[in-house]
Amino acid sequence: MVDESALERELFEVGRQMAAALPTTRNPLKVLDDKAMDLASSDAELKAALFRFVDVVPACRNLDDLARHLTAFLEEVGEPPPSVGVAMRMGNTKAGRRALGMAAAAGVRHMAHRFIVGERPDAALGVLRDLWKDGVASTVDLLGEATVTQAEAQRYADRCADALDTIAGAAAAWPPREQLERDSAGPLARANLSVKVSALTPLLRADAPERGKRDAADRLRPLLRRAAERGAHLHIDMESMDSRDAVLELVLSLLAEDEFREAPSAGLVLQAYLRDSPATLDTILAWGAERAQPLTIRLVKGAYWDHELVQAAQHGWSAPVFERKADTDANFERLTRRLLDARPAVRVAIASHNLRSVAHAIAYNRLTGGADADLELQVLRGLGDPLQAAIAAQGLRVRTYCPVGDLVAGMAYLVRRLLENTSNESFLYEQARGVALDELLAAPR
Amino acid sequence: MKPFANEPILELRRAPVRAQLAGALEAFDAQGVIDVPVWIGEDARYGDALLSTDPGEPSRVVARAAVAGAGDVDAALALAAGSSWGRRSAEERGAVLVRAAAWLRERRLALAALEVREAAKPWREADADVCEAIDFLEYYARAAIALAEHPAGVPGTAAELLQPPGERNELRWVPRGVVAVISPWNFPIAIPLGMVGAGLATGNAVVLKPAEQAPGCALALVRALREAGVPPDALALLPGEGDVGARLVADPRVHTIAFTGSGPVGLEIVQRAAVPAPGQRHVKRVVAEMGGKNCVIVDADADLDDVVPALVKSAFNYAGQKCSAAARVLAHEAIHDALVARLAGAIEVLQVGQASDPEIDVPPVIERSAQERVARYTATAEAAGRIVARAGDVPSRGWFATPALATDLPADSPVLADEIFGPLLAVERVASVPEACDRVDASPFALTGGLFSRSPRTIEYVADRSPVGNLYVNREITGAMVGRQPFGGNRLSGTGTKAGGPGYVLQFVEPRVVTENTVRHGLVV
Repeated sequence: MVDESALERELFEVGRQMAAALPTTRNPLKVLDDKAMDLASSDAELKAALFRFVDVVPACRNLDDLARHLTAFLEEVGEPPPSVGVAMRMGNTKAGRRALGMAAAAGVRHMAHRFIVGERPDAALGVLRDLWKDGVASTVDLLGEATVTQAEAQRYADRCADALDTIAGAAAAWPPREQLERDSAGPLARANLSVKVSALTPLLRADAPERGKRDAADRLRPLLRRAAERGAHLHIDMESMDSRDAVLELVLSLLAEDEFREAPSAGLVLQAYLRDSPATLDTILAWGAERAQPLTIRLVKGAYWDHELVQAAQHGWSAPVFERKADTDANFERLTRRLLDARPAVRVAIASHNLRSVAHAIAYNRLTGGADADLELQVLRGLGDPLQAAIAAQGLRVRTYCPVGDLVAGMAYLVRRLLENTSNESFLYEQARGVALDELLAAPR
Repeated sequence: MKPFANEPILELRRAPVRAQLAGALEAFDAQGVIDVPVWIGEDARYGDALLSTDPGEPSRVVARAAVAGAGDVDAALALAAGSSWGRRSAEERGAVLVRAAAWLRERRLALAALEVREAAKPWREADADVCEAIDFLEYYARAAIALAEHPAGVPGTAAELLQPPGERNELRWVPRGVVAVISPWNFPIAIPLGMVGAGLATGNAVVLKPAEQAPGCALALVRALREAGVPPDALALLPGEGDVGARLVADPRVHTIAFTGSGPVGLEIVQRAAVPAPGQRHVKRVVAEMGGKNCVIVDADADLDDVVPALVKSAFNYAGQKCSAAARVLAHEAIHDALVARLAGAIEVLQVGQASDPEIDVPPVIERSAQERVARYTATAEAAGRIVARAGDVPSRGWFATPALATDLPADSPVLADEIFGPLLAVERVASVPEACDRVDASPFALTGGLFSRSPRTIEYVADRSPVGNLYVNREITGAMVGRQPFGGNRLSGTGTKAGGPGYVLQFVEPRVVTENTVRHGLVV
């Protein structure tokens, strides 16, 4: 048992150091897009209009089409700010629409480039190498359209295999970075890929998971083999509740197969916003497969909160997620402790942009006698950049989740990121608003 | 009563919930063949003139039913005409209906298993049907009570009657008289129970002639109502074929006919009901829900990631045997080829198999003639256009039809005009959304429709031009929920009534207005 008041003192100390190490120039939301995000955060209608626009951009056929969509969304804003009025007037003429379309397209591209590191893995190598040189590890996520056919599933699997080859090949030439390459359990892979099970099969059905699991297994096994050959780490992402159990069961059963006993290094995700996440962690810890390398558990809060609530409300089900953000935050801390206590059976990656959540993990680890090297922190490209720099500056291991893909494929990802981070409850929003550090570091209640 | 809320469907994404299904089916099978009587008053006469079988395994008999003859129809209507059910208060009747809903709720899995076997409804759909049946009872019970409490509309609204000084105006609704319900097999508990429930809630005696393919399901819903307290003279069950329905329609003792089924039968009912029988002193009212040829417009700005799964669901769930199912996709030329390619791939991976297998996507169709009909239209589509995708591995025993996607059909192809009621979807190329709307407008049907677009202007344009009773935007076009999507079509798809909606119960009552002069000797008294 840890002394709670000692922990809070340590946590505040770590948090203050971290805050002091944050680059002062750029809050990620400020740079997102000038005033657009500020406006969007304060006006729900405008926010909806902007997000619906961002969502439709890849489907627009030309600049005129783009501008027509933009003005149609803006028409629905009840009390438009002056800048919106200007856009609306531009929409009245062909030349105006062209100019508006160009400006809007440039804006969205600009935004996308903050979150997406390249269109293809080879195009992302420069960014990945620069991150590495700065003391930041990465995991690559291949964005794509939804998988509805076998051909699409195979294409995604092929892209994943190619990404493993490309990244592992290039990473061999990166300079040594001791804090990123080793923990007490042994060496850590430089190349790290995150994959989505729903993209590996068109057959995953929420209420009939067996066929989808079998089909996904047929594509996941070759990827595990490839990762093993390449000495890369393969991380299996979690998505919505509809596939949670299927993904968990699939990964635990595959990784228990004899063939994968030695390699590759692999991982799973635990979503703290799920009410039953403690039971999921029980399942993972009781798994007991004998593998050479411990399973890496990435603890996140979860990115499908609105979806889960809407779906549950429409079906009359009880919500699978905590409805209060503070409950998620508190659960996140409890799961953090259980994960850290469970080492060396697992490797622990704490993925959050919330300074309190990050500082809590670091402080708890230190107070319970853990080595800094046995705790990994993870952030998202584009949103966690300042935090990433601050963590790296402390000599701690940080890994940045780097989406790779074209604008069309990336739009769903982009919209989700924007939505979750302009939410009035998001940590980044509060930070951008200038909430006092002590308040940001206060325990969830 | 608590405010109405939809009965939650099973959360089948959770393994412990799924684990109950196999046991429910085993328990159902252990019961043996269901005996369905002609059930009039206290008198239940059993027989085996009609057999219902499992469409996926036609040698398995699910129910054997007696068939109602002319004498049965006569006896049932005589008893119904004398029923005093309508003299009970709306609250009392509503309480009975709510008890029937509880009866169903207690037997949800058993009833779903019955639908799996008798109508080859896959579990998810079978469960949804039982939930909808519960919803209808709960909803109409409340609607009838509300009508009794506020007959002239909600106080303070424009619907309320004006009351100038010296004049008392009162509107009251009374039961029209005996309701004959003629129901289909595709929602084998919910649809008959919805029509029966609305008739009973408003105080009418009801005579039910269920689909010959699903007498076992009909017995279940009649038992629910009888055991909940509907008096024997207020509800009769008359299993049989078309002749039973025809007798009911022609009989002068019937006041309202509630029908859901095919267009030709519906129109024949409308015609027959219009001719008064000797001695008949009322105009019959027909509430008819008929077929559709439902179109989904996909604009150039649609998100195909959403479109493909929604179309597959709309066209192939329950093998396309829903009046709301998607039959035609009108795809903008900018995305037509991409959509067809993705849709084809999604159809090729559909798993066709027994409804009892939770892993399947598409069950068999209801009977041999349906199987033959789908095959015939698919052959027609192949001859005049192209079949670009078919689901593989279709079982050879049982009434299985192969899910298929047709393209490049001539504009006058019957595949684009007729209601096929099976797993065949056609895609057409359009140059613009207005052109798509023109094609929709040319159809004699107007039941459901769909639109995928991310432009608010396009959505408004299509909503304005769509004649359909239910337009679904950016989602699947099936799965209407009671109290959320009141359901029913226009044009030749129906009489414009909305099941599960606020006005539905009005079809079963007649209005009477009493105006009293309250002025005596120049004084308002």
